[in-house]
Amino acid sequence: MSPSLLAQYVMNGAMLGMMYALVAVGFTLFFGVLDIIQFAHGDVVAAGAFAGLAAWTLLTAAGVASPAVLLPVVILVAAAATALLGALVARFIVLPVKSAPQLNVLLVTLMGGTVLRESIRLFYPGGSQPQLFPALLPTSGWNFGDFHLRFDNVILLVCGALLIAGTHFLINRTRLGLAIRAVAQDEETARTMGIDFKRVVLVTFALGSALAAFAGVMDGLYYNEVFFGMGLLLGVIGFAAAILGGLGNLYGAIVGGFLFAALQTIGAVALPFASAYKDVFAFGVVIILMALRPTGLIGERTSERV
Amino acid sequence: MRFAAAALIAALSFSANAKQTVRIAFIGPLTGGNSAIGLGGRNSADLAVRLRNADPKAKYQYELVVMDDECKPDAGVQMATKAGSDRTIIAGVTHYCSVVAMATVDTFHRFGLPTIVWGAVLPDITYANNFKEIHRVNGTMINQNDTNAKFMTDHGYKKVAVIHDTTDYGKGHNKYFSQFFQKDGGQILATFGVTADQQDFTAELTQIKALNPEALYFGGLTPIGVRIRAQMDKLGLKAQFDGTSGIVNDDFIKALGPLAEGALAFREGAPAEKLPGGKKFLEDYNKQGYSNPPEAYGPFAYAAAELLMDAIEKVGPDRKKVIAELANVKDRDSIIGKITFDDHGQNTVPAITKYVVQDGKWLTWEDSEYRSGKRKLVGK
Amino acid sequence: MKSAAGPVLLTAVVTVFAWLILRAESQGEIALLFAIAIAAGVIALRTRLLAPLGHALDAHEGFAQGLAVAAVAVLALLLRDDDFALLLLVRVLIITVACLGLNVQFGYAGVVNFAGASFFGVGGYTAAVLSRVAGLPDWIVLFAGGAAAAIIGSVLLLPILRTRGHYAALITIAFALLFRTFLEVNDSLGGPQGLKLPEMVIGPFHFNEPVAIASFEGSFYLRYLVVALLLLVLAFGVVQRLERSWIGVTLDAVRLDETAAATFGLNIARWKIASFTLGNFITGVAGALSAFMIGFIAPNNYTFAESLIFVSILLLGGIGNPWGVALATSVVILLPEKLQILQEYRFLIFAILVVLVLLFRPVGLLPRPLRRLVGRT
Repeated sequence: MSPSLLAQYVMNGAMLGMMYALVAVGFTLFFGVLDIIQFAHGDVVAAGAFAGLAAWTLLTAAGVASPAVLLPVVILVAAAATALLGALVARFIVLPVKSAPQLNVLLVTLMGGTVLRESIRLFYPGGSQPQLFPALLPTSGWNFGDFHLRFDNVILLVCGALLIAGTHFLINRTRLGLAIRAVAQDEETARTMGIDFKRVVLVTFALGSALAAFAGVMDGLYYNEVFFGMGLLLGVIGFAAAILGGLGNLYGAIVGGFLFAALQTIGAVALPFASAYKDVFAFGVVIILMALRPTGLIGERTSERV
Repeated sequence: MRFAAAALIAALSFSANAKQTVRIAFIGPLTGGNSAIGLGGRNSADLAVRLRNADPKAKYQYELVVMDDECKPDAGVQMATKAGSDRTIIAGVTHYCSVVAMATVDTFHRFGLPTIVWGAVLPDITYANNFKEIHRVNGTMINQNDTNAKFMTDHGYKKVAVIHDTTDYGKGHNKYFSQFFQKDGGQILATFGVTADQQDFTAELTQIKALNPEALYFGGLTPIGVRIRAQMDKLGLKAQFDGTSGIVNDDFIKALGPLAEGALAFREGAPAEKLPGGKKFLEDYNKQGYSNPPEAYGPFAYAAAELLMDAIEKVGPDRKKVIAELANVKDRDSIIGKITFDDHGQNTVPAITKYVVQDGKWLTWEDSEYRSGKRKLVGK
Repeated sequence: MKSAAGPVLLTAVVTVFAWLILRAESQGEIALLFAIAIAAGVIALRTRLLAPLGHALDAHEGFAQGLAVAAVAVLALLLRDDDFALLLLVRVLIITVACLGLNVQFGYAGVVNFAGASFFGVGGYTAAVLSRVAGLPDWIVLFAGGAAAAIIGSVLLLPILRTRGHYAALITIAFALLFRTFLEVNDSLGGPQGLKLPEMVIGPFHFNEPVAIASFEGSFYLRYLVVALLLLVLAFGVVQRLERSWIGVTLDAVRLDETAAATFGLNIARWKIASFTLGNFITGVAGALSAFMIGFIAPNNYTFAESLIFVSILLLGGIGNPWGVALATSVVILLPEKLQILQEYRFLIFAILVVLVLLFRPVGLLPRPLRRLVGRT
């Protein structure tokens, strides 16, 4: 394999990995504060992408054509919509069943996700077919042999990295982050320290969901298409990535996301069987890795409570 | 709720003119990934029934009983049993998904329910059995790919890479295209099967790019067709995009924008707007204000419903007589061209139309500027 | 037997209701029947009128089970020539069996399994492959389906034993996705086009021919109904015996607190393995019978989404209670079918209903009763 071809595969994998990581960070944040899995997350991502698309459609209909205006508005609308949606899911679906068994939370959020997905399919105009997502970034690029490096891909990667770094800063260096970490560590104690538990939970869900909105818009910009069912697989993979890395751990989610993308790329390219087996390969490796590292690659810090 | 209202109106008008009501089943995927085509088919069959009911010359009042097969064999068999065991249902317009159509042929045969398949393309549905109940208005994928392969080799495309989805639709297309293309002297550089819900094709396309094909044959439906065409552009892969009937719809163009330009595809039947009644179909369809377009197979569902109602008008609401009557269908005019059923119930006049995208529209090859030489296909 | 009157009356009411709902066609009828069911449920919960009835059922459990079987038999005779209603009824029975298998895993040992439909599919595919083998009786094929599911499940044992909670959930989720993709891309098992099954033949009985005994005529589904009912009685018996035995108590200990159970010298791994394997076996047998009845299988039937429906049945019914499983299966199979009138909106409505049930009745429709130390009278 030529170096330029290899570079192309690495770039493809990196784009995928960034999207998975952004979704996985959401899963891990939610788990951190509430010890639950919010399985509607993938569909919140899709809803974000569709909200962004709706904003674009309305703006262009109103005569706005400059990408410099459109892009920030699309991202802001998507982030605001998902932040609200995430907080609503937390308030009306997750918090009421917080003390029920884990399984209930899993199922109720999965079904909530189905409601979202079906609503997009049925109520977004033309929602049952894929929708064109506009190319708002410069599409020119450079060719190095077999490697076609596009400007928009570079921008998306850098923005994704900045967002994750920003989240890291927020969690570790701000008062809000401190509150989130306090709740994550011990809800009871955090409450007695005067932390408004409910508010922290809602803010965390809004934050994680807004990150997902960026993943959704990034998905749209990268593939130039959004689809009502896009959240389903993205959600499962994001969940797998978060678990693989170790729940509740920001770095784990990032590592998990990129690892899963790498597995898929390797499965499609470097192995002797047909590329259609790539997901069989990736999920097979996930199962094996879980047997080897039962609490994820970067293990959860909590110890068994007896 | 519009359907509830329609049913109510149907019930009221029933009492008004006292015609006998005859029920016809429509079975297709109304939920899940294939729902767009299923809803298009449902609306088209519904349109046929409404137009017939508005016709004062019709002897019977028709009611469409709509069922969702979810594109799953067990749900399909369940619905086929429901339609078959309900003696008030005289005939059925059935199935878009081949895997469901395969599963239900035995059931329809058991209950003796005459059915016309409106979208499933697997040859075995009509040819692997001798059931008199089963008919099909759309062609099989065999003819489509024969024409496609010939077109490609005639236009000098000798090296082709193939991506197909791993559903029955994509796999079947790959099989027949590869067979015909190699027979015509072409060379398949590589074949990739991809799952129908896959989003990212960059790994496959990067491999394909390194092989430098002249064209890329895609066997699959619009959603991943759109993704593949868009990602070809991302990777700077310049090859002629050659698709199948599954992408001949407005959504393909809407989702791709200018990137759709020059894409090829092949479909059975003449384009609706070129046929007697076809243009009227589109006008009537738009008049009804359905929230979904008819999609690629809507006209077939419409034609199937028409055929069944014609048969019932002639011989009355009796399953056995309808089956006997359908055997006589020969050179029948319809919005999809002439229909003739062979002894397997397969429509044998699969005129294949070649399509190319020009300026955001699917045009027939013959009408396009690509044919006249004003525009060029990729690499020509 | 004075106290038996209550259960008999209840069974009769439920049977008549089931008969009505299976036959209901028009939107008005269906809406009315659902309204009655919901009202009855709410009243029963609010007034606790049913509590003495519950005790009566408990006190004569064997009698109640006999009643339930008799009710299904009566229902089948009433519906004898209505193929579609019978098909639905048999499907309810088969899915109940499959979910009883999951119930052993989730409800007793606390092993999560999000790949229920995959093991159901292993049973189906095994049946499809083995039924072509000449000379192999089909009743053995049914059980081979279960055995195959148990064996394939054992591949997952090591990772499942080593992980907990969400980590364990991921393993079965990954397996469910992997299994479906594998079936689709692998042509030797029919690929996406699936496999056709021949007619099931057990002894002198050909299952796809209409029943005709003397002057009695009925649908061919009646034979499948008999087999499904037998399997259900068998599975129900096994599951309930298991729960009542010391094994059940052990499993409860394992589920509720692994660490504590281990300190009491219980071999956690052994009990998890046993219940996971037994559960998959039961699910696999159900899958094999289902494949025979439908006569056709394809990967589309065994998706992750189907597995989720199985899990929904467990949760809606009340985890750990076999009666709850039976009730929830009826609701989950019949509701979407009766919602066909809503066409493309039915999954949306179904999902909303599940969310509402989970929000307002998180323990499920019939939660598992507490163990009683005192023996039954």
